Order: sequence, then C-alpha cells, then structure tokens
Amino acid sequence: MHVPFCARACDFCNFYQERPDRTGIQDYLAAMEREFALYPPARPFETVFWGGGTPGLLKAEDLRRLGRIIQNADTRHLREWTVEMAPGSVREDKLESLREMGVTRVSMGVQSFDDGLLERLGRPHTRRQVDQAIDLIRKLEFPNWNLDLMFALPGQTLTQWEADIRAAMEREPPHLSTYCLTFEEDTTLWVRLQKGQVHKRSEVEEAAFYERAWDLLASGGYGQYEVSNFARPGYSCIHNLNTWRMHEWLGYGPSASSQLGQRRWTNAHDLEAWATGVATARPARVDEVALTPNLLAQDCVVFGLRMNEGIDLCHLQKRYPDADWPALDTLLAQLVEEALIEVTEARWTLTRSGRLLADAIGSAVIGAMDADALAPAS
Amino acid sequence: MPDLKKTRNFCIIAHIDHGKTTLSDRLLEATNTVEMRNMKEQLLDSMDLERERGITIKCHPVTLLYKAPDGEIWTLNLIDTPGHVDFSYEVSRSLAACEGALLLVDAAQGIEAQTVANCHLAMKQDMVIVPIINKIDLPGADIDHARSQLEEVLAIPGDEAVLASAKNGIGISDIFEAILARMPSPRWYDFPQARALVFDCVFDAFKGVICFVRIFSGSIRRGQQIVLMSDGTRTEVKEVGVFSPKMRPIDSLDPGSVGYIVTGIKEVADIRLGDTITLADAPAKEMLPGYQEVRPMVFAGLYPIDTSDYEKLKVSMAKLRLNDSAFVYQPESSVALGFGFRCGFLGLLHMEIVVERIRREYDLDIISTYPSVVYLVTKSDGEVVEVQNPVHLPDPSEIEQVEEPMIRATLHLPNEYIGDILALVMEKRGMVENTETIDAQRVMLTALLPLNEIVVDFNDRLKSITRGYGSMDYDFAEYQVSKLVKLDILVNGEQVDAFSSVVHTDKAAAKGRMLCAKLKEILPRQLFKVAIQAAVGSNVVARETIGALRKDVTAKCYGGDISRKRKLLEKQKEGKKRMKQIGKVAIPQEAFIDILKSTN
Repeated sequence: MHVPFCARACDFCNFYQERPDRTGIQDYLAAMEREFALYPPARPFETVFWGGGTPGLLKAEDLRRLGRIIQNADTRHLREWTVEMAPGSVREDKLESLREMGVTRVSMGVQSFDDGLLERLGRPHTRRQVDQAIDLIRKLEFPNWNLDLMFALPGQTLTQWEADIRAAMEREPPHLSTYCLTFEEDTTLWVRLQKGQVHKRSEVEEAAFYERAWDLLASGGYGQYEVSNFARPGYSCIHNLNTWRMHEWLGYGPSASSQLGQRRWTNAHDLEAWATGVATARPARVDEVALTPNLLAQDCVVFGLRMNEGIDLCHLQKRYPDADWPALDTLLAQLVEEALIEVTEARWTLTRSGRLLADAIGSAVIGAMDADALAPAS
Repeated sequence: MPDLKKTRNFCIIAHIDHGKTTLSDRLLEATNTVEMRNMKEQLLDSMDLERERGITIKCHPVTLLYKAPDGEIWTLNLIDTPGHVDFSYEVSRSLAACEGALLLVDAAQGIEAQTVANCHLAMKQDMVIVPIINKIDLPGADIDHARSQLEEVLAIPGDEAVLASAKNGIGISDIFEAILARMPSPRWYDFPQARALVFDCVFDAFKGVICFVRIFSGSIRRGQQIVLMSDGTRTEVKEVGVFSPKMRPIDSLDPGSVGYIVTGIKEVADIRLGDTITLADAPAKEMLPGYQEVRPMVFAGLYPIDTSDYEKLKVSMAKLRLNDSAFVYQPESSVALGFGFRCGFLGLLHMEIVVERIRREYDLDIISTYPSVVYLVTKSDGEVVEVQNPVHLPDPSEIEQVEEPMIRATLHLPNEYIGDILALVMEKRGMVENTETIDAQRVMLTALLPLNEIVVDFNDRLKSITRGYGSMDYDFAEYQVSKLVKLDILVNGEQVDAFSSVVHTDKAAAKGRMLCAKLKEILPRQLFKVAIQAAVGSNVVARETIGALRKDVTAKCYGGDISRKRKLLEKQKEGKKRMKQIGKVAIPQEAFIDILKSTN
C-alpha cells in the first residue's frame, strides 16, 4: 500500500509523493478503501507493506483507518506487516496504534548517523531524533525493525561510512538495509550532479563502500540475503523475498505496483488520476505488461541472483518448462569460469564480485534468453 | 569552319585559392558569355562540395566569343582544370586540349607547390605559358617578389607577367591581349585523319554518356560512326555541340574547336580520359600523345553503419560511378563491419570527396576502414599478386618480397619550417632528393615517399607544421621493395579484421601500441578482463588489458522497481544487439567508428 505523502522531498528520492493536506489525506483514505473493495486479494495474503511516501506521516487515527482495510480482510496467513517511518514523524501514539492493529515490522529511513551528511542529503531529521525513535520502537516491542542506511554520499569517506555501520549495529536492529546512493532523474541531487555541484563516485570507490559494509555487517552477525539487505537469522523481510522470488503481489494506492496472474502493472503516479480511476472503477494504470513464461523465467534468474540464496535452476526449469533454458548454458559456464557465479548442489549463486555486477549479469541473462526469440525476424 | 587563326584554346593553372575561378568568371563576364543577371558567384564550380572546399573536381569547358579592340571576333575556348594532386592526370588531359595556359600566381603568397607542378605539366606539353600576377591590389601584394620567383623557380621571365586583380576586374583586357598575341593557334589541324581528345565525360540521365572533346583534326558530325582508339569501341555520334556556357547543339565540330559529343555508350566507366576519338570510316592509326590508363592508388572498405543500408549504399555507389570513372568498387565483407564494398580511389582527397558525397547526396551513414595502397607481393613460389586489402596479405612464411608504391612529392615551405618538415619526411620513411631555394623565405623540397605513409595524415601534418604556408604536390614514382608486415589487432585472441593494416616493420610496434591504447580507451569494460594485442604474424608487438567491470548493480530493487529495472535491462539488451561480437567480447559499433576515425 503506497502512502504518497511526504513533509518534504529528500534530495535523492524520486518516489512518487505529494504534500499532505487534510482533505487530500481524507480523500486518499476513502479511495484506498474503495480500491481494496473493488479489487480485493483473491486469496489470503502473507505480508503487508506500507511504503511511500511516508506512511508514518499519517496521524494515528488515519493509520488506524488505513489499518482497518487490512484488519477487515482475510488475515489468516498474515505473517508480516511492515510500515515505513521517517525518524522525525515517529510518535508514541502512532506506534501504539500500529502495534495494536497488528503491524509486526517498522522500517525507518535513517540514512546516516552523521548530522552533517544528513543535512547534505536534505533529510529533515537528526541523530538525536533517530535515537528517540529507536527507543520508542524498542519500547513497543515490535518483533522486527529495520534501519535504512545510505552510502557513497557526496563527501562521505570510507571511515565515515564505517562509523555509520557501527553506529547502526550498536543499536542492534534485527534488520539493516544499506543503499548505495543512486542519482535518480527528477531529484534535487540529480540537478546538482548535472550542474557539477556534486560528483558521482567512481565504480571502484562504490565497490569499496559495498564491500566494507558486507565485511563489517557479516562480522557483526548480520547475514546478507540480498544486494542491499542484511538481517539477524530469521529476520529477513518476507515481503521482499516474495517479490524477488517472482511470486505475486498486489499494490494499492497511486504508484503502487502489482504482479498477478499473467500481468504486471503500476498504478498511475498521480494521486488525482488514480483516485478518479478508482472512483469510476476504470483503474488508471501504467506500464501494464503481459507476463510470458520466458519473461518470468528471465526475471526469476535476474532478480533471484541478487539474493544470496541464488536460484535453483532445476526448480525453475520445472516451474517454467517452456522457457529458453538451454540459451543460458554458455553464459553460465562463462560466468562460472570468470568466478562471478558459483554452483553449489542445485543452486547458482553470485560470488562476491558477481554480486557487484548483478546488473551487467542480468542484462546478459536477458540477452541470452531472448536471442532465439529475436533471431527469426532477420 | 572557324577561323583557326582567330581561335585560342587555353586553360588556367594555379594553386588552390589563387583566384582561378574568379578569373574564369571575369573572362566570361567580359565576353558577355553569361548575362550579368545570370551570373552566379563562381559559376564554373557547380558542385556544392567543390564550392565548399574551394577546389575544382570536374572540368567545365566554355567557349568565349571575344571582340578584339579592332572589332574582330575571336573564339576562345577556356578549359577549367581540377585543382588537386589526386587529379593530376585529369589536369594533364585538360592541358593537352590546349595550346596555352594562364599561370596564375597570388601576389601575396607567391609560387606554391601546385603552381610548380601544374606549370611543369604544361611545359612538358610545349604549351605557351602566360604568367599572371593576381590580387595585386591586396595589401600584402609583393609584385617584384612574385616576378623574381617566376624567374628563379620556373625560369619564366618576370617581365612577361600580366598584372591583374580578377576580383576587381583589373588587367582583364591585358589578359585577353596576351592570349591573342602570345598563344599559338590550334596545332595539328592538318593531320590527315580525324582526331579528337577526350578530356572529360559526364553522364546525363536523358542523353547518356557525353564526352568533352577537343577536335584536333577532321570534323565530327551527328550520325557518324566513331571509334575510341584505346580499345577500339565503336559507337554512333548522337549529337555534337559547344559550351556557351550551357551545352548547345551545333552541326559539326571542326578542327581546333572544343565541344561535346553525345555517344551511344551507356556508362562513363567505358570512357577513358585521354582517349582519342577518330572516325570509323577513315580511322587514324596513331593516338594523340599522353594517354595513360588511370588506376586507383588508394583503397578502403566502405560499410553502412546501419547494416540494412547495404542495398542503398550499393545503388548510390553505382550512381556515383556514372560520373566518376576513376572510382571503382566491389563487394566485400568484414567480420567486424558486416557487408560493404572495397573501393578504389585516385588518392585520399578523391576518397574524401566520394565518402562525403555518399553521406550528403544519398543521406547514408557510412564508415571507412583504413585507406590502403596496392602492394605487389611476390610469393615464395614466384607468383606476384596485387593486394589492396591488408587482410589479404599472405602469411609471412609465403612472402618472398613486398613492393609498395612510392610517390615523388614536391613540397614548398617557408625556410623556418625546414627542420620540422625534414623530420616529418624521415618519420614517414621518405628520402629528400633535392632542396632548392626559391627565394630568401621559401624552399622547395623534392622527396621520395611511400604512398601508404602519406595517405593518412601527411598533408594535414604539413599544413599544421607550416601554419598553412606549406604546400605539396605529388606524382606516382615507382614500386619499391620494402620491409612491410601486416599488423593485426586481436581482442581476447580473436583477430578483428577491420583493424588490420600493412606497416613498415620498424613502425609495427609503435602503431600497435597506439592502436591498443586507443582501444583500451574506447572499448567498454566487460564482465571479464579483455586482452588487446597487436601482432605481426604470431609475434605480439603490443598489448593492453582492459580490467573487468568492477561494479554494476542497482541498490534498490523492490516491487515497484521491478518494471523500471526490467525496462533498463531491455534497453541495455537493445544496445548489445548493435554490437559486434568478437569471440565473447561485444564491441559497440561506435568503438569501431571511433578507432577508425581517430587513427585515420
């Protein structure tokens, strides 16, 4: 469920968001109720994820109203319910409401414990606010909670990055996500990059930041389970694992994405267009694609390889028997030879250097598996 | 029949930019050959490309009717000459159609390499030369200096020079008087059989092949059977006419005249410049002197950047050839570049012009491989083969010797640059045969140089070293045995044919290093290390390694990012489709283009 409101836009963020106002929020909540009623999950769901935007920005009563949508649904199989919060908007009453409705996991965008770096990112919070928020989350005994960190920031040294990781680990969250800064179009940071006011780190520097994080987190007992995600044993994010394993998910709210049956789509990145679509029962959707077995098979490999568990090729071949699996043989052999992929029992996993190249490997996978499909045309 | 005594056939020879075209325009204007309102600036150079580059590629003859001060009407045939070294044979054929030449010298710049080269061509043909010192009204004009240069360099008495400014119409009547008084009337008119010199030809979509001719003896009329003497081809005369300045049909072309013959021949390629036309029923036995077979000196592969443009390129080449018999082509294919054509040119400028015309007139994006010259390879078994494409150079073990074409270059330059130019000649494996002082400021060098060394950047280097004041002219000299080897470029052990070249053994390592370094800079990094090697046979002379890609991974990849990510990967895949796969290394087409451009 996408909550599209932010108090202000962060310099690095290109997610869809709107300035909150009272009527806007009320209209949004009403539309969410209607969208869920119109297109309810066809079977019991296992996870719920509230992202944004800043879901934590909603008042406690609004959070409860949104929560009732879930509570009134079939929650027999619900195992995990995550809500994203910004440190500055964490309040005890909100957390209490969330805990009461059954939220199991809070994810907080900390980005850094260094006030100087936070300021440069345009993040409207301080280290002190982060600690206050963490205390509250602890107090309310959420079963799982996560801190997001960012690295390779303009002006950030490796030592500063190491200090951030250590600061995060000292606070003992069950889960940690670390994100390499990406310059996204339509962000303040992008504009500053274009103007030459900030500089992108070199590939080698970024790799060094990545590897420093991987080493430190591993030594602190955080197991990596995806490129950017680490958890104490048993605390991985079930919701995201489900996505990467190419199962199904349903998105509600503007800009939310869904994958269901043979289709994948995204709701309009526009509060008004989305709300009108819901009101008229003619959903405003973008990027709607038909999912073929070959495409899903490719995505299973591409996104599966980003996880440390890798892929079970035999299992995938059974799941998509008609996909062009033989086309992968040469590539996989080559990747093994280059020590970018390892084969253990039935699983194919990226090595450490392979993980740093997951995109390049992904595009090679798609290129290989599409090669035959493209050939007859010429 | 025109009065031979009142006919003069002449041309203008000059270095580029010394005012040849402007003077032609003034002469046309003064004889009312073109009405003022129809005058376009620089009328004779009609191709855009020519105008842009300030050079004449094709000759456009024109007949001027000049009214002398005594009231008599004279027929003056002006034959324009191409202005570049690549076309010196064409120049010599144009000169052969004349008895006299106006030698134009820029009063400020003095005598340049081409002035000398063209003047020597004219002298060899016993032509009368009328020197003209042009641009005398320019601030930098130094008339005395130009006069003494004429004497010292060309042994032409300085006081014979007519002073003029073509641009401002100064001295035009003096020029006409000099033509009338000093140049002889048409020669060889009394040869017993008809003889006409073909000095150019064009293709016309309606009329077919049109030969530009100078009639020496006999008359040629519509309906007659004529013979092209070089190969005995017989054809019918469909039309004859003169240029005034547009083509105008007349009944008969008579001795001493310049005009055109429309033939029944289908392709320009079947006409050889310098050929002699005679009448079939009373043929001459002896051709006019000076005929040579023109052979392409420089070869290069031309490939469409978009492979689907192959057919379009083929059509455009066929059309170009209709009007350019010196341009030859045949299909070839390259592992790296796909399907294209091996093309032969008179020289590098000719190649540039053809490539540029294909790009502009046919709107095709093309890439050319390294220009190569024609090597004569004697194999161990005694067989001699011509090699136009480095890829076809036999294995070193099968080669007895390789001969390369040498040219004799005349270089004109200010004294102060002589040291740098001598070094350049050395670097290009040349040998200076003669150094001559033109005057206190300038020298003339004669050097024997391998053609393959000058096709690439010699002229540009000469110009940049001498800040534009140096000039060059060259002529084919001879084939010489040389220590030449084929330099191959290997990417992860696979040879990339488009990058192969023939180099002197002493230069192989340096060129190999340059190419490897350039490739390292241009090739995108891959998932694995890529070795780039330059090799002569099995001997690696240079190598570079492109380190593997280090980091290429998106940090955030959640439900909403999947579609975005997918699109990005698809886009990368599309990009890969345009790459050439050399072994397991994908090389973007842009890399080939960059390399060929930067090292050409």
